[in-house]
Amino acid sequence: MELVFLLICGGLAVISSLLVIFARSTLHSALWMVFSFFMVAVIYVLLHAQFLAMLQIIIYAGAIMMFIIFAVMMLNLRQERDAKVNTRISKVVGVGALIVLFLELMLVSLGQNLNAIQGPITDTLVATYGRVAVISNFLFADYLLPFEVVSILLTAGVIGAVVLAKRVK
Amino acid sequence: MLEFMTILIIKTLVAFIVAILIVAYSTWIERKVLGHVQLRHGPLRVGFHGLLQPIADGVKGFFKEELIPDNADKPLFVLAPIISMGAAVTLVVLIPFGDKVTIMGREITLYLTDLDVGVLLILGISTIGSYGGILGGWSSGNKYGVIGGMRGAAQMISYELSLALALIAVVMVSGSLSLVDIVNSQTGLWNIVKQPVAFVLFIICGLAEINRTPFDMPEAEAELACGFNVEYSSMKFALFFMAEYCHMFVFAALVTTFFLGGWHGPIIDGPHWFFLKTFFMIFFCVWERSTFPRLRYDQVMSFGWKILLPIGLLNILLTGLWMLIFNI
Repeated sequence: MELVFLLICGGLAVISSLLVIFARSTLHSALWMVFSFFMVAVIYVLLHAQFLAMLQIIIYAGAIMMFIIFAVMMLNLRQERDAKVNTRISKVVGVGALIVLFLELMLVSLGQNLNAIQGPITDTLVATYGRVAVISNFLFADYLLPFEVVSILLTAGVIGAVVLAKRVK
Repeated sequence: MLEFMTILIIKTLVAFIVAILIVAYSTWIERKVLGHVQLRHGPLRVGFHGLLQPIADGVKGFFKEELIPDNADKPLFVLAPIISMGAAVTLVVLIPFGDKVTIMGREITLYLTDLDVGVLLILGISTIGSYGGILGGWSSGNKYGVIGGMRGAAQMISYELSLALALIAVVMVSGSLSLVDIVNSQTGLWNIVKQPVAFVLFIICGLAEINRTPFDMPEAEAELACGFNVEYSSMKFALFFMAEYCHMFVFAALVTTFFLGGWHGPIIDGPHWFFLKTFFMIFFCVWERSTFPRLRYDQVMSFGWKILLPIGLLNILLTGLWMLIFNI
């Protein structure tokens, strides 16, 4: 039962996050983002983290997205701008960089059994290694691949924002 | 399991029907009270003293022509009233109408759910609901609509803060985020006595959140020709209208729950006290509408940020000090 809910909500969260990127109107992508946040909140509820879920709704789906939508409405970005940028060179460079990154990610997956700490986290484990060591073990050994993927995504987001802002002259 | 589900479904249906009936008849109360305040009669023809007027209005709403403007953003235009009404009805789930009662040997609670994060969920869902009005205004492709929607967004951000601050003081006194626990903590002494400042803050900010008259910036008939719902017709308009009255009912019920002791009262505790207080608050909403003129938009904003917010913060500080000194 919970698994079904998790699959539905997780799937909807992923689809709506994709739609945030692909929606043509700025306001629509903002709204898909609200929906995505909402679905993530449902996943928190499934994990029995109700408090986190409520904060997710109030702060992200509520306050922050309200500010973003307010800004979008103020700027009146209703017209869908056609992207007419010379993309030939950047496509070649982009595909090349993608291949390099993919190879690097292959290397990353080799490093997954580097972890110094085995087994579940217990109080004695935390006492021996310290909290920071435990977290870094998680981040840089167990979940290295997702960590790298997220960092690539964030970099792409920053570069994308710069490109989009530069286009308007 | 089956018994539990059956009881839950029956309770949900009853709560929903009661809420919708109260929503329908608060339109009647509003028109009747406004009429008598202005030395008129209000609705009089349909049924005894206009008692069937809400039903006639509903039927009329269904049979009106649906119009969607050419330059409207169609999916959002359809979605906006649904968001408004959906969020408003969802809030009814959280309201504790009464304590446990025994019916046919079974102990049944007169509330649908008792979440340990109830107060936060109310704040969250009410924010989601306000997207309805904002998107409705924006998607209708009308400048009055857009201005109304933007005013709605700005007002929501400003007054939600002070509303939450007022609630924090209540939560501090009651020691819980669950609505049922908050009501139970008011046995004997209601929160209106313990937290008079928070009570006034909550009433003012709540009226702003549900867009009642001194703060009805998003629709301001005189300036914006009805603002965010200017392009809506037929049942979509009726949904916005019902959402507004549903919010009024929820607001009245929440004031009762947070400050007026919920189902507690002299002689016998029970849901009758809850409904009595809730109807008094609904009457209050209509009463103040006929008393106060609409504020100017910039006055609303500066009032929210420069007066209500500092008062809310100061109230929390004083409540904390008071609890610390008297060791409560």
